[in-house]
Amino acid sequence: MDFLALDILSLHQALLDGKINPIELIKLSIEKAKKDQNNAFEYICEKEALAAAANLDPNKKHNLLWGIPYVLKDNFSTKDIPTTASSNILKGYVPIYSSEVYLRLSEQGAILIGKATLDELAMGGTGMTGHKGFTFNPWDPTHKRMIGGSSCGSAAVVAAGIVPFSIGSDTGDSVRKPASFAALVGMKPTWGRISRFGLFPFAPSLDHVACFTRNVTDSAVVLEALAGRDEKDSSSATAPLEKYSEAIKPDLKGKKFAVIKEINNSISNPYIHAVFDATVKALQERGAIIEYVSMDMKLCKAIYPTYIVISCCEATSNNANLDGIKFGPRFDGKDYEEVMTKARTEGFCEMIKRRFVIGSYALFKDNQAEIFLRAQKVRRLIVDATNKILEKCDAILLPASPTTAPLFNGGNSDKLSNEYLISDNHLAIGNFAGLPSIVLPLGFENGLPFGINVTGKKFAEAEVFSLAKGIEDITKLKDLVAKEDK
Amino acid sequence: MNFEAVIGLEIHVEMNTKSKMFSTAPIRYGALPNSLTVPLDFAFPGTMPVVNKQAVINAIRICNALHMTIDRELWFDRKNYFYSDLPKGYQITQQQRPIGSNGYLEIETSLGKKKISIERLHLEEDTCKQLHSWDCTLLDYNRAGIPLVEIVSRPDLRSGQEARQYAEKIRSIVSFLDVSNGKMEEGSLRCDVNISLRPIGSEKYGTKVEIKNLNSFANIEKAVDYEIKRQEMILISGDSVIQETRRFDEGIKQTVLMRLKTDAVDYKYFTEPNITPIRLSEEFIKDAIETSPELAEVKLARYKDLGLSDYDSQILISNKNTCAYFDKAIKSGPNAKLLANWIIVDVQAVLNKEMIEIDDFKVSPEHLGKLVLMIEKEQVSNKQGREIFQKLLEKDEDPEVIKKALGVDLINDNNMIAEAVKHVIDENPQAVVDYHNGKDRAVGFLVGQVMKKTAGKANPAIVSKLVIEELKRR
Repeated sequence: MDFLALDILSLHQALLDGKINPIELIKLSIEKAKKDQNNAFEYICEKEALAAAANLDPNKKHNLLWGIPYVLKDNFSTKDIPTTASSNILKGYVPIYSSEVYLRLSEQGAILIGKATLDELAMGGTGMTGHKGFTFNPWDPTHKRMIGGSSCGSAAVVAAGIVPFSIGSDTGDSVRKPASFAALVGMKPTWGRISRFGLFPFAPSLDHVACFTRNVTDSAVVLEALAGRDEKDSSSATAPLEKYSEAIKPDLKGKKFAVIKEINNSISNPYIHAVFDATVKALQERGAIIEYVSMDMKLCKAIYPTYIVISCCEATSNNANLDGIKFGPRFDGKDYEEVMTKARTEGFCEMIKRRFVIGSYALFKDNQAEIFLRAQKVRRLIVDATNKILEKCDAILLPASPTTAPLFNGGNSDKLSNEYLISDNHLAIGNFAGLPSIVLPLGFENGLPFGINVTGKKFAEAEVFSLAKGIEDITKLKDLVAKEDK
Repeated sequence: MNFEAVIGLEIHVEMNTKSKMFSTAPIRYGALPNSLTVPLDFAFPGTMPVVNKQAVINAIRICNALHMTIDRELWFDRKNYFYSDLPKGYQITQQQRPIGSNGYLEIETSLGKKKISIERLHLEEDTCKQLHSWDCTLLDYNRAGIPLVEIVSRPDLRSGQEARQYAEKIRSIVSFLDVSNGKMEEGSLRCDVNISLRPIGSEKYGTKVEIKNLNSFANIEKAVDYEIKRQEMILISGDSVIQETRRFDEGIKQTVLMRLKTDAVDYKYFTEPNITPIRLSEEFIKDAIETSPELAEVKLARYKDLGLSDYDSQILISNKNTCAYFDKAIKSGPNAKLLANWIIVDVQAVLNKEMIEIDDFKVSPEHLGKLVLMIEKEQVSNKQGREIFQKLLEKDEDPEVIKKALGVDLINDNNMIAEAVKHVIDENPQAVVDYHNGKDRAVGFLVGQVMKKTAGKANPAIVSKLVIEELKRR
């Protein structure tokens, strides 16, 4: 039996039944990690993981994540385990404290087997900018296609069947977009639902902890382990929690979905339209109500620029701590200015520097009102428009991406086209508004997956899982592992 | 031409809270460098700020003392710049919405009371301490993140003396509120002065100069007075003042150039995204104010009501801990004036002699209060009181116990004393003659003899009264 291809709940049962023990399971996972062909790992924690497996508290074996191997995106602080954020400026950095996410998962008995690659400092959506080079999409054994980013490694390890779940971070669509390209379930809950303490910030007002699994129920299981107030993150929410995995009710009767026409219509791929429409029809057949609603086209076109301005502004400030003085590699210089300048010149890739320049420019006193504050206002307008739609329905339903996984050398896409500005970036709405948002597989085109997105109301994670499960029951696309025959 | 100085002060006060502004690291002056830190203080990636509630309470109390409008929502901003003493590459401060705005403070001038307007008070965090040596700079992160309040006055001050008074008043407020020790020499209170000159009658401000690194209240006055003269000389000779930052050199008692103010740094302020705005309920604010320690002004009024002279009150109030001692001692019930006198004269003498602070004074305020009460009720004489006080200095115990041990019960029984008086006068007929011949000394002599006869236990006041009565009778 291929244990690593199992979902969390089945693995849990196998562990309980004694079909495999945690140490054997962790060994399998690490063995497969070592053979990883997708450049998905920054670090494999072999020693640490085996020690953790040996020290598991048997009294906790009924925890659903007990003994389950997983991977963290390498921007979660892990005490005594290198954490680089795939950036040269943090090469060799070993944190002295652990993120809340890591602590909670360890508490549940989940076992960290590795740290995954990302677009440098979680900025980027291609999986191409990390200091270790491209991360590949396991659904394309020829390694010509991206898996998307920035949580590229976290997506690849679940899609390749190395672990049943992984943790990423989602600032614009950094978990949900790769989920779409890798036939995974990618979920980010409401902003504040999971503590961000120990997550290297990219843009805190947009940053979310998010997870990859291979089916909807597993996603709920992972959220259950992570959700809840943390005193160390004062933005973490006190809203009541639910037993998400038990609250799933896939009954779609009377459920109301809104499809935003402007976003859906900006997709040019007819096949994706066809599959989406067929799914909509199936939903209706099961008693769901679909309403096609409108969002001001000006707002739709403003999603991407708004995202870029806000995220770059916050990023340039958040990453100002990376100055080569306190931690990370030391770049010598005759004074502090030279040390900082050298560290930041040699430590960051070009894309990062570009974003910092954009962010700084937009924050300058003379530009701030015109660029940054305007972006904040537009964000507010988009959020208001989205919440207005959600007042009249249970969730917003849309194709997750306008394409399947793009080629690395696909040439320059038209960044001013509606398709790029709107349907390729609409998932950021969920970040603007901090809403629970999930992507799950919708179909395949030429062997390459694409996903569907459900976004719900604040703290309505249970509802979002239920609706997603209803869709999963229709598509029957779950527990998919990419076959990697080169 | 006559000029008028226009002076505004920016005062940073370091708080003495248990932990830092946004981290759980403890605060202690003089600790081993870098021993009081948590990951946040080094800005390790992923660490997050959590607002210190006590720091907010402190800020509300200062705002209240300065008659400021208190914002009902707490907002923080980032001030972005790169410097070796700034771990995060930004400082969390309150640029857009300071917790306090539009207040004032009254100072005493030769022309009477003067209101100094205060523009704003905001919360922020301190930076690292830098120790420069000839070949390197060492960083101490103990100071990084200590809560600060910055209090910015409007340019209402006109002289060095006013500036000093204003700063001292701020020190008194933060120290009486238990927010800070307010010691300039320890850097707990830092003062930057903005100063410009303009012709009297002019509404327009002149070019302003900033003076930094002032390490005492006296130096604030000296620096301002020097700077006024310096700028006056420049203007009189027809030159113009250059916008610059200067520091006060104590050795030569002059302000000297630190740097020219060229293009101001663009701090790219924006709202701190990791701290969602915090609503301050009316109840929270009310509670912070009502539980606030008593301010000097309030104490002064209370002491006046207790019957203390202005002079005595001022002396007590010049030291917060002396006030605290007085306030505890008065609870034992003695007369305020008498108690104040004991503290100002007798206790102070001991403190001076032993070179200690009142906090280290061995006699507890309760016991001193009791002793003063005993004297006031004439249970012991003044002299006996001093004797008991000496014993208290050796061992701090209940003065009643010492009184018994010394056997110094004062005799207040008129009949008993009258008996002794008669005896003494009978034995000294010459004294009677002397008295009637107008020699007042005779009274003193007889009182002394009575005291001797009663082993010093008779109440001297009664003795002297009865001696005179008896003499008149003979």
